[in-house]
Amino acid sequence: MTPAANLIAFLGLVVTLLIVWRQSWPARLRLFVAQSLLLAVLASTIGVLAARPGLLLVAAVFVVIKAWVIPRVLARIGAGVPARPLAPGRSIGISLLGAGGLVVAAYVVMLPVTAATELPTERAIPLAFAMALIGLLLCVTGRDALGHILGFLVFENGIFGLAILATYGLPGIVEAGVFLDVLVIVLIMEAVVVQVRREHDSIDVDRLRELRG
Amino acid sequence: MLGVLLATPLVGAVLLWRAVGRAAVVLHALTAGLTLAAALAVSARVLGEGPLTALDGFLRADALSAWMIALIGIVAALAASEAPRYLAATSLGRFYPLFHLFVFTMLVAVSTDDVGLMWVAVEGTTLASVFLVNFERTRASLEASYKYLLLCSIGIAIAFLGTVLVYFAGVQQFGDEVHALRWTTLQRVAPGLAPRVMELAFVFLVVGYGTKAGLAPMHTWLPDAHSEAPAPVSALMSGVLLSVGIYAILRFKPAVDAAAAPGFARRILVALGLLSVAVAAAFLWISANYKRMLAYSSVEHIGLVCLGLGVGGTLGTAGALLHIANHALAKTIAFLISGRVRTAYDSTEIAVVSGLMRRMPRSAALLLAAMLALAGLPPFGLFVSEVMILAACFTQGFADVGGTALILLVIAFAGLLRGAHAILYGAPTREPMKEALGWRAVLPSAAALLLLLLTGLAWPPGLGDALNRVVAIVVP
Repeated sequence: MTPAANLIAFLGLVVTLLIVWRQSWPARLRLFVAQSLLLAVLASTIGVLAARPGLLLVAAVFVVIKAWVIPRVLARIGAGVPARPLAPGRSIGISLLGAGGLVVAAYVVMLPVTAATELPTERAIPLAFAMALIGLLLCVTGRDALGHILGFLVFENGIFGLAILATYGLPGIVEAGVFLDVLVIVLIMEAVVVQVRREHDSIDVDRLRELRG
Repeated sequence: MLGVLLATPLVGAVLLWRAVGRAAVVLHALTAGLTLAAALAVSARVLGEGPLTALDGFLRADALSAWMIALIGIVAALAASEAPRYLAATSLGRFYPLFHLFVFTMLVAVSTDDVGLMWVAVEGTTLASVFLVNFERTRASLEASYKYLLLCSIGIAIAFLGTVLVYFAGVQQFGDEVHALRWTTLQRVAPGLAPRVMELAFVFLVVGYGTKAGLAPMHTWLPDAHSEAPAPVSALMSGVLLSVGIYAILRFKPAVDAAAAPGFARRILVALGLLSVAVAAAFLWISANYKRMLAYSSVEHIGLVCLGLGVGGTLGTAGALLHIANHALAKTIAFLISGRVRTAYDSTEIAVVSGLMRRMPRSAALLLAAMLALAGLPPFGLFVSEVMILAACFTQGFADVGGTALILLVIAFAGLLRGAHAILYGAPTREPMKEALGWRAVLPSAAALLLLLLTGLAWPPGLGDALNRVVAIVVP
């Protein structure tokens, strides 16, 4: 199980770094779908190798929500957004450097966790945590609502990966609640973004600056 | 019994989804009244006879839950009594169903034994309240709700990371256990859990749930959301939702204390508590908007609660829990009255509403009382609980913490009273006009004020016992 988990988690991290690198919105969305699919493969692999049939169900629901429903909603929100940001963004080099730093940080922060376990998936845990941290980075540096939501979802995916690798899946009711919550968050985000666009004729949330002090 | 408590607001919310006009108001009042009755009944039962469970232990209310359930019931009823008056000045929308859904999610969060379900419910509180924050659909409320949704979702995802690590620690130590996310299991196995993992988990949990609780530096969404939300919603958010965040941290604290290095949880909670009080003290001086001022006062009081829990011991914990209740009552009065002021003046600027005492004497008198209570003056309950928290600092060997807190409190006190003076006694910018308020409009706030006087002057029989039982859960 160790090589499979390591390989899939590593690929997931590569895809996450590509999301940081690419600036065009459709490409980022496709990469997010790829990341979600990889995590579903991870869950089903562990489900088969560790004889946890429940994980296969979790993986199936994960594919439906994260690789199909949510990307459709995101595509709907992003319709009409210029494929490339008109103003050149923050330097890609600096973002990638930051992401690389976070990978190192992930190994350091996860030391107590990897030290406390003998699981065959132990080595992949920091990789999943790095995905989560990079998602957080994307979220706080995102310049528009789409960037924020995408960052949040990558963050979510990283935590899901970590939960799968470290515990072979949480109790079903909790997993179900998490899926439902993420779905509702994205739907509410859509409603809010639609209103932002109507009010400001843009989804650039830098324009939201009425409240100060 | 727990089932009835949770079903009441949920069923009410579903029925209210289609209700309009007079029927909606009656149904709303009925739901709020029944929720209050069920909440008080459950609390009395739990505090008198011990924990209640339902659904095979999935739902469980112990003394700590009972304390929160009673508070949520009382604050929700007070806020509900003000809602029809608020809605008379605006459109109805989906206010009532979302209001009761919001109450429902808070009640679930505090009455489950499963920390996973607690997480789902706390996230649910954000989702149920985000449209209430944006209820008036202005640019400012839109911005506030966007910030609120994004920051609290990130925060709560971080708390989920912490929950996963706690589960991981439990499974590592005791193999695969279906009940590893149950709080009762966690309490039992805590001393054997991997200390470093539990420490890491606690950091994530405090950052995550601390975002919901409005602890600095994760509080940045709070002044926006609390000032833009309709008054009854502000009252619920400030009065009890913040404390639900604290409650979630509190559920993990005994397990972390048992597993991790001694003083680990204390250092984190004391640092965040002091920082929150400091940030609030500074912003109380510069706020030109009275609802924002009340919001920063919430950051101050939640910071104090966090400080009290951090210092801990029986005295510190009891002070913090009592402070949660006192703050809920005082802040609810203040926000409900501020809503009326806003409707009358159509502004939340302090400069516009100055001289309120002459224009709206009855509301202004209630607001004055609430402000004095929030400033921590006797004879109100907040004075007593603040003294308990500070006394815990000084008697348990944290004189430096207590001294710092005292200085910050004095700064915050002066800032709040300066604001209150400008609102109530400044030169009126408009002609004074008599307000027409019947006794029914004053009654709920007056009742809350009476409770505050009781916790400040003479504890009703049973309150001390009840508080001891709640404290025994946090400080075993």
